[in-house]
Amino acid sequence: MISLLRAEFLKLRSTRTSLGLGIAVLLVSLVPTVLLIAFIPTHLLNGGELGAGATLVTYIVLVFGILGMTNEYRHGTITYTYLATPRRARVMVAKLIVYGSTGALAMLAALLVAQLVGVIGLPMRGVSYHVPGGGALADYARQIGVAGLVTCFGVALGAFLRAQVVTVAGALIWALLVEPLIVAFKPGVGTWLPFNVFGQVTSSSIATDAGNLAAHSGLTRPEAFLVSVAYIAVVSVAAVVVSMSRDVT
Amino acid sequence: MAVIEAEHLSKRFGKKVLAVDDVTFSIRAGAVTGFLGPNGAGKTTTLRMILDLVKPSAGSVRILGQRYRDIPRPATRVGALLDSSGFHPGRSGRNALRVVAAGAGLPDTRVEEALTMVELEGAARRAVKGYSTGMKQRLALACALLGDPEVLLLDEPANGLDPEGIRWLRTFLRARAAEGRTILISSHVLAEVEQTVDDVLIISKGKLLAQGAIGELTRTAQPVVRARSPQAEKLEALLTARGAAVNRLDTALAIRGPASAEVGEVAQANGVVLHELFTEVPSLEDLFLEIAGTRREL
Repeated sequence: MISLLRAEFLKLRSTRTSLGLGIAVLLVSLVPTVLLIAFIPTHLLNGGELGAGATLVTYIVLVFGILGMTNEYRHGTITYTYLATPRRARVMVAKLIVYGSTGALAMLAALLVAQLVGVIGLPMRGVSYHVPGGGALADYARQIGVAGLVTCFGVALGAFLRAQVVTVAGALIWALLVEPLIVAFKPGVGTWLPFNVFGQVTSSSIATDAGNLAAHSGLTRPEAFLVSVAYIAVVSVAAVVVSMSRDVT
Repeated sequence: MAVIEAEHLSKRFGKKVLAVDDVTFSIRAGAVTGFLGPNGAGKTTTLRMILDLVKPSAGSVRILGQRYRDIPRPATRVGALLDSSGFHPGRSGRNALRVVAAGAGLPDTRVEEALTMVELEGAARRAVKGYSTGMKQRLALACALLGDPEVLLLDEPANGLDPEGIRWLRTFLRARAAEGRTILISSHVLAEVEQTVDDVLIISKGKLLAQGAIGELTRTAQPVVRARSPQAEKLEALLTARGAAVNRLDTALAIRGPASAEVGEVAQANGVVLHELFTEVPSLEDLFLEIAGTRREL
């Protein structure tokens, strides 16, 4: 497994996908935070604006996870991956670990960049910067964890569906359009839908930030966490079962 | 000892396409075996079934006595060249190999050795998207060699190579064969492997038509007597009357059945002038065409 993890990290480092992820994360954490600090009235600046980009980062890592698996099929590298590791479930586990941890790191980087903007920008507006306390830190930790989970969900979706464009477009349409509509009109059902469940793990920031990832709370955080893990496990197992009978031609 | 054993192997894609139809064969250790057949014959599908990339619809295949997926660290026992396009275009040649080596649990030193073997050291830092077809083919070959395997499966390795590349490949394969490795090499260009292989498997339309040592198979193939005469039409009639199968194009004749001595005697006895008369040793291509029943004489 160690060699597989090494191979997956090397795959990440040796293409521009990770560079693209870094740039995208930097932009979406920097731009909204800078705009909010620059333009909203000073009496509304309370530190909450420093997590403004978190929702966007979550969508970016979702796409990043999907690309992690679908790129293998798109470029045909899956042949060499399975030749080196014919046990396909092991490849899936390695990808979940590597991409999940990278997604979490991306969120950590985004939050750090936002704090840095706060350190520099808030005093320029005459507002003092306060180092995040225990509650805020716990909230950030949950956002980091959810980013990891969402990335894993993306990997599992990509492994299951394989077609890159269909998977990316389908996942984004579902997360940004279909699921919010279901949550709005059928909240009882919406509570259990995947992106709403991911949002309920963090609930204080991501859930209310853009109104997309989890607007409806019906689960406690531990419940939401367990359902999130169950979603990833179910899609991952389904992907492995499908991949076992799938021909690599 | 058989290194690869396939028993009643079949693969159906959908309801209509039967790519491989009840194929049974074995590949002996230390031999270079040519897996020959036209495009679409089922060669690639068979190789992918050997490597557990394609699931057989029926039958089974074992390599080194077990299923590929059951071989511990398979890249150190079996190397495969299947598709030169299986590399991320943005990755350098060296990194493409490093990724495969890492997945197979091999050290980076093997990457450099493999690059040297295929003479790609100079281009190792370039992105694969800038490689020519021949360079990609060499990179794929380097991938197959990473684990220094005892068995090599090569699917159309000369595809995209220029004449110099094909000569390089032939020398390369001879050197690997001389080391005692078992090599299964598929090709639809028969002349390309004729000088390299010991045994052949001949497949067409998914069915295995023949297998065995190339020497034995060519010995059993019927030789062709070639003659050239200004009275070719008369000679054709004389030989046909004696039961020979004759194909004529202008003054040239291809004769199956009688030996060249008999053809010469018939010609002399009937006052037919001969400008040329010789027996052609059947080539691998002749053998294939004869077995596949697609021969077009002359």
